[in-house]
Amino acid sequence: MDLYEYQARQLLIDQKIPVPAAIYARDSHEVAKAVDEIGLPCVIKGQVKIGHRGQAGGVVFCETKDDAILASERILPMTIHGHKVNGVLVAEAKNVLHEYYVSISVDRSSRDYDVLATANGGTEVEEIAKAHPEAVKRLHISPLEDFDLEAATDMAREIGFYHADVSQAAEILLDMWKVFKESDATLVEINPLAKIGDPDDESSKRLSALDAKISLDNNAAFRHPEWESFDDSLNADPLETRASEHGLHYVHLHGQVGVIGNGAGLVMSSLDAVAGAGRPIGDETIPIKPANFLDIGGGASSAVMAESFSIVASDSQVNSILVNVYGGLTSCKTVAEGILDAIGTIDFVKPLVVRFDGNEAAEGLKILKEAHNPHISVADTMEAAAQRAVELSRAQLNSSYQPRGGTQ
Amino acid sequence: MTLFIEDGAPVIVQGMTGHEGMRHTARMLTAGTNIVGGTNPRKAGTSIDFSVEGESRQVPVFGTVSEAMEKTGAQASIVFVPPRFAKSAVMESVDAGMPLIIVITEGIPVADTAYFVASAEKKGIRIVGPNCPGLVTFPVTPRDPGMNLGIIPDGIAGRGPLGLVSKSGTLTYQLMSELNDIGFTAALGVGGDPIVGTTLLDALQAFEADDSTKACVLIGEIGGSAEQEAAEWAKSNMTKPVVAYIAGFTAPEGKQMGHAGAIVSGGKGTAQEKKKILEECGIRVGETPGQTAEIMRQILADLGE
Repeated sequence: MDLYEYQARQLLIDQKIPVPAAIYARDSHEVAKAVDEIGLPCVIKGQVKIGHRGQAGGVVFCETKDDAILASERILPMTIHGHKVNGVLVAEAKNVLHEYYVSISVDRSSRDYDVLATANGGTEVEEIAKAHPEAVKRLHISPLEDFDLEAATDMAREIGFYHADVSQAAEILLDMWKVFKESDATLVEINPLAKIGDPDDESSKRLSALDAKISLDNNAAFRHPEWESFDDSLNADPLETRASEHGLHYVHLHGQVGVIGNGAGLVMSSLDAVAGAGRPIGDETIPIKPANFLDIGGGASSAVMAESFSIVASDSQVNSILVNVYGGLTSCKTVAEGILDAIGTIDFVKPLVVRFDGNEAAEGLKILKEAHNPHISVADTMEAAAQRAVELSRAQLNSSYQPRGGTQ
Repeated sequence: MTLFIEDGAPVIVQGMTGHEGMRHTARMLTAGTNIVGGTNPRKAGTSIDFSVEGESRQVPVFGTVSEAMEKTGAQASIVFVPPRFAKSAVMESVDAGMPLIIVITEGIPVADTAYFVASAEKKGIRIVGPNCPGLVTFPVTPRDPGMNLGIIPDGIAGRGPLGLVSKSGTLTYQLMSELNDIGFTAALGVGGDPIVGTTLLDALQAFEADDSTKACVLIGEIGGSAEQEAAEWAKSNMTKPVVAYIAGFTAPEGKQMGHAGAIVSGGKGTAQEKKKILEECGIRVGETPGQTAEIMRQILADLGE
């Protein structure tokens, strides 16, 4: 789970990491009030869980209160790279003298934690790493050890923090580590960690976290009841919400072929097969794409299958459904029963293609056949099933879909 | 082949008295696995009655892993303990010096996994998983039983010259089924979490060292760079052909596709990138499971297998 900047900032504040004064506001009225408190000039920052918001016009420097209100009225309704802006942060504008980058993340390859930092902050660290790999410093922290002030101080020196900043930088690194560990984060990134202040007044200079990005480990949610406040209803997809309430892994992809399967790998593979079969050929212009990822998991009951089916069928963009099950733990017979239960309770008039293999595949297919539902067809392989689901979807788009006389 | 454990070695199940644990213990016993005990401090001293092909089999429950090891000589533990208790369960086995720990549990926080994987590594203990289907091996002599440790259904395929390693459970079954006329030396699911104890690379090394394995199937998916690391190693160290399949070409950026580790982040870990690097390392990548099996058939035909 990714956090908004205003949420991430709060986790930094909780560990006493210095940040500029800022207030979260959801409408221009709240923005006006926030400006009175923060003072001018200020920065209006659209809250969105995606990078490059600055280039997209999501961050505006404002000299006057009117400017701030106008900027917020422009930013609040924006959608940046597919993400709806969820409020703005009205932040104190700081005089930036220098920008650093620091992050702590899970390193999948070395199976430990990775502190990454550079004295050339402000832009994407990947770009810096490409252009100036020597400028990016790395330190691995073993999961069995802790990060201490000595290591943090060495790191700060190595990164190239200016002499006067080293001790403050070390403290910030250590506090970031606390945020990372205590919050079960997979990423804590401060970019920029800026040196701010009056260039002519040495005593005014200090480090401040001007922007932060934090990702949390979904698997650790059971020990963080406080994460409930991070629920993002604005950007939540209603179908994804419904599926997660039932403990199902569902990702809405907005294509035309609904996909249901068992096991994350097999479902991903089914999506690829649908997308492959759905590439436009000849004079076709519209590609047919998968509508969703839905994994019913191992050993699913017929109730789980029925719920899965009705979630996918309720997506108005879906005009055909592919069910691809390799029965290991899961019984294909149980899945077939779930499909028929779901069809019995919803008004289902879309074509369904089923491919069963493994545990009780023959029994499952028999049940489907005996249902004599003209919308259900079966295929022997995943590839053939995907092809068929795509053809049926295309037929629906061309209004040429005809239910078959009976199940084959 | 034998993979990480001798055929017929005694094993225990942590979480055997739970729903999943019971179900899979029964299934593994039927598959011929030598399960000699389970652990549950609250039920220590009792035993669970499993029916194996119509016959009753009593499997004792021990209070701790050390006690189970002492009394049974268990050489591996299979862990079905729920996520919130998984770290202490795995650490109990690590501290007891269990040589092989197979963690089936899905949903363990990555910090917990990082901790027990690092602890195990320090003691020279092998962990497989978490969030994995476990492993099956097929013996060199057809009469001997192989090992079935975890949740891979028995009977999908028989013995043959292929080694298989995968991040995905159902794709393991799918490819085993597609190639069941050829058969396997062993199949290993390494798991779909961001951090796992045994990697795709570790599996390729084991298959390279095994004389009975003639070729390998590698099944990857989006997220991380385990496929690339395995391929880079194979390029200069592997004498046996590897055929790969990668799932998730249509996965969008930043969305977790079921498995905790199956996520493209910051444009990294895409299926396209993995396919490109694997091919640069001389590994052929099938577009579908069916095509992957076809490529493997061609390669075996060329090898005269």
